[in-house]
Amino acid sequence: MSPRPVVEDELRRVLALVPWLVAHPGARKDDVAERFGITREQLEHDLALILMIGVPPYSPGDYIGLDDEGETVEVWLAEYFRRPLRLTPAEALTLLAAGRALLAVPGSDPDGPLGRAVAKLQAATGDADVDVDLGGPRYLSAVREAAAAAETIEIEYWSAARGEASHRRIDPGPPFFALGEWYTDAYCHRRGEARMFRIDRIRDLRPTGRHFEVEPAPAGARPPEPMAAGRGGVPVVVDVPAGAAWVAETYPVDEVVERPDGGRTVTLRVGEPAWLERLLLRAGPGASVREPETWRDLGPEAARRILERYEQHGA
Amino acid sequence: MPPGPGRDERLLNLLACLLDSPAGRTMEELVAFPELGYPPRHESARRAFERDKDSLRAMGVPIAVSTNDGEHRYRVDPREYYLPDLDLTDDERAALWLAVTAVALESGPAGGRGGADPGSAGTSALMKLGGFAGGPAEPVAVLPLDGTVVALFEAYQGRAPVSFRYRGETRTVDPWGLSSRRGHWYLAGRDHARDARRTFRTDRIEGEVEIGTPGTVTVPADFRAAEVLADQPLRYGDGPPVTARIRVDPGWEAALSGFPRDPEARFTRLDDGALLAEMPVVNRDAFRSLMIELLEHAVVLDPPELRDDLVAWLRAVAGEVA
Repeated sequence: MSPRPVVEDELRRVLALVPWLVAHPGARKDDVAERFGITREQLEHDLALILMIGVPPYSPGDYIGLDDEGETVEVWLAEYFRRPLRLTPAEALTLLAAGRALLAVPGSDPDGPLGRAVAKLQAATGDADVDVDLGGPRYLSAVREAAAAAETIEIEYWSAARGEASHRRIDPGPPFFALGEWYTDAYCHRRGEARMFRIDRIRDLRPTGRHFEVEPAPAGARPPEPMAAGRGGVPVVVDVPAGAAWVAETYPVDEVVERPDGGRTVTLRVGEPAWLERLLLRAGPGASVREPETWRDLGPEAARRILERYEQHGA
Repeated sequence: MPPGPGRDERLLNLLACLLDSPAGRTMEELVAFPELGYPPRHESARRAFERDKDSLRAMGVPIAVSTNDGEHRYRVDPREYYLPDLDLTDDERAALWLAVTAVALESGPAGGRGGADPGSAGTSALMKLGGFAGGPAEPVAVLPLDGTVVALFEAYQGRAPVSFRYRGETRTVDPWGLSSRRGHWYLAGRDHARDARRTFRTDRIEGEVEIGTPGTVTVPADFRAAEVLADQPLRYGDGPPVTARIRVDPGWEAALSGFPRDPEARFTRLDDGALLAEMPVVNRDAFRSLMIELLEHAVVLDPPELRDDLVAWLRAVAGEVA
C-alpha cells in the first residue's frame, strides 16, 4: 500500500477546519489544535494557508477573512466552505461499523449517546446501515467483571488443539474481539506466564475472591493479536491456490506474495500444529506447506487420520 | 521572485472556485488564473489540472462535467459537496470518537485490496463532524474492513447494483444490506440471475467490485440484514436444506461452540458419551468447515452425499486420487 500523500491529509483537515472556525469565532488556538489532533505549529501553518484562499476575480474582498489575535482566531467570508465535505463511503462505513460494533458489545446501551449518534449518521448517509454482531459467549460478562475488579478466576478451559479440558487459575485482562472471537489476555497461574484464552472455550468459571495488581495499559494500546507474530509462533510458509486466496485475508499473516497463477504464498505464525492442520484442510488439495520441512505432510496426514475414522465406520 | 503557490494552496483555491462557479469553468479559464499558479505551458498546465482533478475526486469531491459545443465545463454542486448537518450533541460526538478508537477497523492482515484506509478514515470523518473529544478508548474489538466492503457499501448507499466474481462465476446483485458476523462481512441482496435473495461472504469475492447505475435498486421495506444473517452459515446458499447427522466424540462438542446453533438443530447424548448432532445444511462449504474444526473426532453419519463430499475432499488433500 502506498503511503497517503501528505497534501491530501492537509487538505482534508483544512476543509474540516474552515467551517468549524467560521462557526466558532474567537476560538482559542490551543483548543482548536487539540480538537483536530494537530500541533500548534501545524495549526499556524493551516491558518497561513487559509489566508490564501479566494475566488475569482480575486479582489481583496474575495479572500477568506482571518483575524489572528495571537491566542485566538476568527474566520469569516468563507461562504463556499461553510460546510465540511460530505463523508466518503469509507468514512461513513467506518463510523457506522465502529458504532454498531460497540453497540453490539453485550451490556451497551442502545438508547445512549452512541445509539443516537449512529441513528443520526445513518439518516444523513443515504439511510444506509450496517449490522454488526460480535456474538456473546456465555462467560463474557463474568470475565469482563473479573477483569474490571482485578479478581483472579478459576476456569475449566477446553483446548481444541489438544482436545481436552483443563482447570486453570487466571488473572484475566479486559475481553476483546478479534478474528471473529472473544479473547482475554490473561496471566495463567499454572503456566506462570501470559496466555490468550478464547472466552467461548471457557466451560465453567468461578470467582476466587482474590485480587491481582493490574499494570495500566499504555495509552492508545492495540488489542493483543491472537496467534500473531511475536507470540511464540513458528513462521510457516504456505502456498494456497487461487480459490483459497481468502486464507491470506482471514488469518493474520506476516507476508503475502501473489503468484502468477492467482494463488498466494503466505507466511504466517503458527502456535499449534492442529491450527495449521485445520487451515490446510479448509484450503483444500492445492495448499501445501513449504517451510518448515517437518510440517510438509501436516495437511495430508491430518486428512488420512480423519479418513481412517470413515474406514472404521465402513465408508 | 517569491515562489508560486504550493500544490495544497492551488487545490484549495481550485475547489473554492469550482464551488463558487454555478455555471462551471472551462479548464482554459481555470489554468489562466494566475492565483491558481498553473504552469504557463499549456501541456504542463493540462497535466497538472488533470492531476488536481484526480486528487480532489479521490478525496470524495463530486466534480461534475457538462459538455456544450465540445466545451467541457467543470463545477462542484454545493448540494452534493456539503455534509448535511448531523446535529450531533457533544456527548454523541464523544461517543462516536470513543467507538472509532475502541474498534479498530483494519484493512485485513494481507493489507486489503486498496481503496480504503479505515484507520485514518475514522479520524478524517470525525474531523468533518467537528473534531475529536478526549483521549483514545481502551481497544475492544478489531474488525476487518477492506476496499471490497467499502465498494459494496458505496453501492448499497447509492442504491446501485454490483457485479463481482464469486466462486468462478460473475454475479450481479442488488445490495440490500451488509452485515459483520464472527469477523466476516456478508452482503445480502437479490441475485439477478437467480431472481432470489442470496448471501455472499465478502472476503470470497474475487477481484474488483463493479458498481452499476445509482438509484436503480429498491431495498424491500421489510428487509432486515440482522434477521437474514442471524440465519446460520450452514443455511446460506441455494436449494433446500438436508439434515446432516454427525457423531461427535465425548468432550469435543465444545469445538461446535464456534458455530451458531441452528434453532432446528437437535443434540442427543449417546450411551458412550458421544454426542449425536442433527442439523439442517445448505452450504456444504460451511459444513465441511465445521467437520474440519472437529478433525478426526467426529464423523458424518448421514446423508451419504455430505459424507461422500467430505471424504472426497479429504482424499484429494491426502493425495489419494478418488
